Order: sequence, then structure tokens, then C-alpha cells
Amino acid sequence: MISSILNWVVIGVIVISLMAIARAYKGPTVLDRVVAMNIITTNVVIIILIFSYLDNSYYYIDVAFVFVLGVFIGTLCILKLLREGHII
Amino acid sequence: MTIMQYIALFFIFGGLFFLFVGVLGLIRLPDLYTRMHAMGKCDTLGTGMMLIGIMIFIGDITNATKLLMIGAMVATINPVITHLIAKTAYNRGTPMAEGSFVINDYVASQRRRRSQQLETLTEKEGGKNE
Repeated sequence: MISSILNWVVIGVIVISLMAIARAYKGPTVLDRVVAMNIITTNVVIIILIFSYLDNSYYYIDVAFVFVLGVFIGTLCILKLLREGHII
Repeated sequence: MTIMQYIALFFIFGGLFFLFVGVLGLIRLPDLYTRMHAMGKCDTLGTGMMLIGIMIFIGDITNATKLLMIGAMVATINPVITHLIAKTAYNRGTPMAEGSFVINDYVASQRRRRSQQLETLTEKEGGKNE
């Protein structure tokens, strides 16, 4: 019961990510694509956590933790490149 | 299903609703700034509600603490990223939608800060010259 409901929730989150991908494909500027990428990464974190509950393998929570940190550094680097023209 | 699982499902579907509303704003709104406005609020709230729901489902104190740390991290990272995107868009001169009403406080604050820096610089140089 619960696992089937959570599978449908995962499918809904994937549909939301596809809508964000449509904006990233259509978006006129680079920053629209950055905004869409931000939404997709948070959706990926949610999907990882739901699957860690469904599988009873809670090591994936650490994977989500590292994923959030890596995405934060990556987005900071993209924005610094767009503002100043160089990263380091 | 116990009553705690119903509460968790309520939180999870609430989070799904807010994520959907945020992406709907991302698709429908006319401008980068308004899209960013839709993203920055709905994404943080939806992710927080989803994390609360999964936390109730798991029910273990150590893993729930890890999920709480992820929630705190998302709740601090998302506003920082949104602020930086807005600053980058303003500095790059991204056009606004037609007919938008502009109150520009950013230029005034920058001018004030620049004049204060100039005043402190001249004071220091005057001290050296004397």
C-alpha cells in the first residue's frame, strides 16, 4: 500500500522535473536554465530519499547529503563565472 | 495504516502540490525575476514538507536527524542561490517583462556605499599628508 503510493509520488516528482526541463530547453537566457537546474537537483534529492525508505537502505541519505553540497558549490561556480568571467 | 502514516502522507502530498505550483510558475510567468520568485519560495517549502513526511515514515532518530540536517541545508542554500541569481541577472542587464514597475533601491545603496568609501579614503589620505 505505502510502497505503491510512494512509487506514484516518485512518478509525480519525475513529471515535475520534466516540466522544469521544458523550461531549461526553452529558456531565453542562461539564468533561466540555472533556475531550472536548481529545481531538478532538489527533486533528485527527494527521489533519493524516498528510494532509501522504500529499499530500507539508509546509507543513501549520506549520498543525498553530499549531493546537496556538491550542487551548491557547482551553482556558485556557474554564477561566479557568469558574473566575473573567471572562476578562480 | 496507522494515523502517523496518514499524517506523513498528508505532508508528502502537500510538498508535491507546492513543488507542482512552483514549476507551474516557472513555466507560465513571463520574466526571469518572476520565475525566480516562484522557484525560491515554493521549492524550499515543498522540499521541507517532503522531508518532514519522509522523516515521519522512517521513524528512527538517527536517520531522522540526518534528514533534519538535509532540510536545514536546503533551507539555507536555496535563498542564497536565489539572491545570487538575482544579483547576477541585474548585473548582466537581463530585460524585465514589458510594463513592469521598477523601484530601484540597489543603485542608491551602491552609490551611498561608494561615497562612504570615498570619504573614508580621503580622510585617511589627509591624515597621511599631514
